[in-house]
Amino acid sequence: MRLARYLGLRLALIVPVLLGVIVLTFLVVRVLPGDPVQAFVTPSSTEEDIQAIRERLGLDVPIWQQFAVYFGGLVTGDFGTSIQSGVPISVELSTRIGPTFELVFTAVAIAVVISVILGIWSALRVNRPVDHTVRVGSLVGTALPEFWLGLILIVIGYQQLHWFPGPTGRVDRDLAPTPITGAEAIDALLTLNWPAFGSAFMHLVLPVLTIVIGVSASLVRSVRAAALEILAAQPWQAARAHGVRGGALYSGYLIRGTLSRIPTLIAIVLGNVLGGVVLVEYVFSWQGMGQWLLRGLLVRDYPVVQTGVLIIALVYAIAYLIADLIHAILDPRVRL
Amino acid sequence: MNQFPTKRGSRRLITAGAAALTAGALALTGCAAGTGTTPTSAPTEGGSDSSELRVAITSYPSSWDQDFVAFDLSALTMFKNVYPYLIDYGIKDVDGGQILDGSNIFPTFAESFTSEDGQNWTLVIKEGATFPSGNPITAEDVKWSKDRAFAASANVAGVYRLIGLTDPSQVEVVDERTVVFHQEWPSALTEQIQAISLFIYDSKLLQEHATADDPWAAEWVAQNPADGGYFVVDSFTPGQEIVLKANPAYIADNAANVETVRFTIVSDTASAAVLLREGDVDVAYGLSTNEILDLEGADGVSIISSPSNNMVYIPMNTQSGPLADAKVREALAYAVPYEQIISTVYGGEARRPQSFIPIDMPGYTEAGFPYETDSAKAAELLAAAGAGDLALELVYPAEDGAAEQIAILIQAAFGEVGVTVTPTPLDPATLGERRAAKDIDMQVATGQQWVNDVEYLANNALVTGAYLNYAEYSNPVVDEAVASARTITDDAEREALWLDVQEQLAADVPYIPLAQPNFLLPVRSDVAGFVYPLDGLVRYNTFTIE
Repeated sequence: MRLARYLGLRLALIVPVLLGVIVLTFLVVRVLPGDPVQAFVTPSSTEEDIQAIRERLGLDVPIWQQFAVYFGGLVTGDFGTSIQSGVPISVELSTRIGPTFELVFTAVAIAVVISVILGIWSALRVNRPVDHTVRVGSLVGTALPEFWLGLILIVIGYQQLHWFPGPTGRVDRDLAPTPITGAEAIDALLTLNWPAFGSAFMHLVLPVLTIVIGVSASLVRSVRAAALEILAAQPWQAARAHGVRGGALYSGYLIRGTLSRIPTLIAIVLGNVLGGVVLVEYVFSWQGMGQWLLRGLLVRDYPVVQTGVLIIALVYAIAYLIADLIHAILDPRVRL
Repeated sequence: MNQFPTKRGSRRLITAGAAALTAGALALTGCAAGTGTTPTSAPTEGGSDSSELRVAITSYPSSWDQDFVAFDLSALTMFKNVYPYLIDYGIKDVDGGQILDGSNIFPTFAESFTSEDGQNWTLVIKEGATFPSGNPITAEDVKWSKDRAFAASANVAGVYRLIGLTDPSQVEVVDERTVVFHQEWPSALTEQIQAISLFIYDSKLLQEHATADDPWAAEWVAQNPADGGYFVVDSFTPGQEIVLKANPAYIADNAANVETVRFTIVSDTASAAVLLREGDVDVAYGLSTNEILDLEGADGVSIISSPSNNMVYIPMNTQSGPLADAKVREALAYAVPYEQIISTVYGGEARRPQSFIPIDMPGYTEAGFPYETDSAKAAELLAAAGAGDLALELVYPAEDGAAEQIAILIQAAFGEVGVTVTPTPLDPATLGERRAAKDIDMQVATGQQWVNDVEYLANNALVTGAYLNYAEYSNPVVDEAVASARTITDDAEREALWLDVQEQLAADVPYIPLAQPNFLLPVRSDVAGFVYPLDGLVRYNTFTIE
C-alpha cells in the first residue's frame, strides 16, 4: 500500500517535470538561430511565397498561439506534423522509437550484467592481475569514441570475418517481419518469424556491441568501487567473522549490497545512451530516433525536436522512478 | 581534366573534349518562335533486363511530395526517377560518354510540346498514356497538378515565374489530351524550365485522399509515392529502403534498362564505401571526394568521373563591412591559392573556372575572372586600399568537408598577406538565417544550376536582391542585361549580353570562383550506362549491369 502510494506520488510528479520540458523545449528550439521556412524557399520565391509557406506551417501566428496549438494537440495525443516531411509526427515516431529502444535497452541490459559480474569479480581480486586487466580494459573502453569503434567493428565483423551483415539497417528487408512495435527483432519474435529474427539478431550484434563496450567500461568501475566499499564495511566483516559462507555471504551481502547502489547509475547511463545513440545509429544506418532528432535539430523541424526531447525526458523520468523503486526493494534502510 | 565522363579503376576510359560539351551546351538556350518538342528523339534503347541495381544513398527522402517538400537532394533525385515527366532531356553521346542534352528535349507521355510564337505552348498527351493506377493521363491531370504547384507557392511556382507563368489561369485545358500554357512573354528558357517542372500527379487518385482541410492531399502524398515515371515504387520502408521497378506503362524510348533499383539508406559514407568494396552495393552515392579517391584501385570498383557545372565559389559582401570596397575584393582575389585548392581539396578532380559563369555554360569567357594567385600583388593592393589589418569571417556549411578544407587554405593564404580569417562552420538552419540577414563577410558556397543558362543563373544569383545573391551584388548594367534577356531568343544576341555581364563581374569582383569539382560516382566495375545529369540529380533509367 505504501509502495502504491509512493508510486502514485512519483508518477504525479512526472507531470510537472514534463510540463517544464515541454515549455522549455518549445522556447529553446525557437530561440536557436535558424528559420525552418528557409528550407522551402527557392531562388525564385517572392516575399508573398515565403509568407504563404509560413502560414501553411502555422509559423505566422504569435508564439503563444503556436504554443497553444502545440499543447492543445499534445493533450489529444497529436504531436503535430513534421515541417520537413509533412508527415504526422506520430507516424514518423512509430517507425523510429521501436528500433532505438530495442538497441538501447538491449545494449544497456547486457552492459549492466557484464559490468556487475566483472566489477564484483574484480573487487574480489583487488590488485591482482584480473583486477588490473579489468581496470585497464575499462580505461581503454571509456577512451574509445563510439563512432570509431563502430567502424572498426564493421571492418572486423563484416569486412574481414564476414560473420555479420553490413551496416545496412536493422534486418534484411526481404525477410522483414510484420511491423508491430517497429523493433524488428521483437516483431519477429511476436510473429514467430524465425528467419526474420535471425536476420534482426545478426544486425543487432555489432551496434549493440559498440554500445556495450562503451557503457560497460564506465559502469564496471562504479560497480567495482561499490563492491570494494561493501567488502570493507562492517556487515561483510561481521558476516564472515560469524562464519557465513558461500551463496548466503555473496548474494546476501556482497551482490545485494552492490546492486542496491547502482540503479540510479543505470538510470543515468540509460538516459545518456538514449541521448547519445545517434552516433551508433549513424554508423550502422539504424534509422532510429537519434538520427531523426538530430536531423530535426539541424533543419529546425520544431515538432520533431519537441517530440524527441519529450520522449527522452519521459524515459529519464521513468528510469529514475524505477531506479528508486529497485533501490528501495534492495536496501531495507530506504523507507518509502 | 578534359575527359567526359571518365571511368577509372576499371581502366576503361571514355573521353571527350570539354570543348565538345561546350559546343553541345551552346545549343541549350535555343528556343525561337515556332520551335517545340516532337517525338523524334531516341535517346537510348529502353527495356529492362531483369537485373537489379543496388544503390547506397545517405538519407531517405524527407517526403514523396515534390510540391510541398523542403529542399532535399535525396528526395529530388528520387522524384526524377519516379515522377511521370511529360517531357524529358534527351541524351547526347560525347565521344563515347553520355550527357543529358538540354538542347534536345523530347516528349515522353506527351505526343508533342510545341509553340508557334515561343509564348503559348501546346502540350498534347499521348493516347493510351496511363498512371500506375490504370487511370488515363489526361489534360485535367496536368491542369490539376499545375494548380497544385501554384497553390504550394514553392518549387515549380517559383521557377515558372522565370518564363512568365504566375497564375493557374495561364494553364488552359483545351480538350481531354491538350493543354496550353500561356506565358506572359516568349522565353528562351521554356523547354528547359518545363523539362524540370512538367511532372504530374494522378489527380483522380489524389482527390480520393483530399479532404476539406487538405484539398491537395498533401498529407497522403507526403507518405505515398506519386510514381509512374521511369520507375514505379515497388516497396518502401521509411528510413531504410526503397525498391523501384521499371514502369511497364512507360511509353517513351528512355525506359529503364534495369528491372529493379534497390536503394538502401546507409547514413555513414565510410560504411557505404565498405559495402561497395565488398560488392554488397553497386553504386555508393554521397561519398566525399577523399573517400572516393581512397577507393581508387579497390578490387572490382570503378570511379566514374565527369566534369560538372557545379560551382564552388566565395561570395563577398559588397554592401557592408570591409569587403564593400571593390579594391579590397580585387586584392583578395589575388590572394586565393587556386591551384592548391584544386590539387589538395579535390585531388585534381576539378576544373578552375575563370568566371562566375560555369565553364560549360553558353556565354562563358575566361575574361570573367582574370585573377591568378599573386600574394605580393594582393598585399600591395591591400596596402593601397588602406586595408592592411583586415579581419574577416569566412562562413561555410558545417557538414561540407571540402568547404572546411577550403576555409583552412584560405585562412592560411590570406594570413600571408596580413588578413586575419576566422573560419566559421554553421549548421544548415543557422547558415540559412545568416544568409537571409546578409551579415556574412565571406562564405564558401556551392551552386548547381538546374538550367544550363546564364539568364537562369543571373536571375537566381546576380541581379539585385536575388535569393542566391549572397554577395548582395547590385549593378544596374547587369540588372538591365538580365532583364532584357528575358524576351531575347537569339543565341548570339544573348551571348553578347553575357559577355557584358562578365566584364562587369571582372571589375566588381563580387564572387571568387574557386573550382568546378568533377561529378564522381564510385560504382562496381560491371555497372555501366551512367549519363551525366546537368542538374546533378542522377537518373537510374540509363544504368545497366554488364
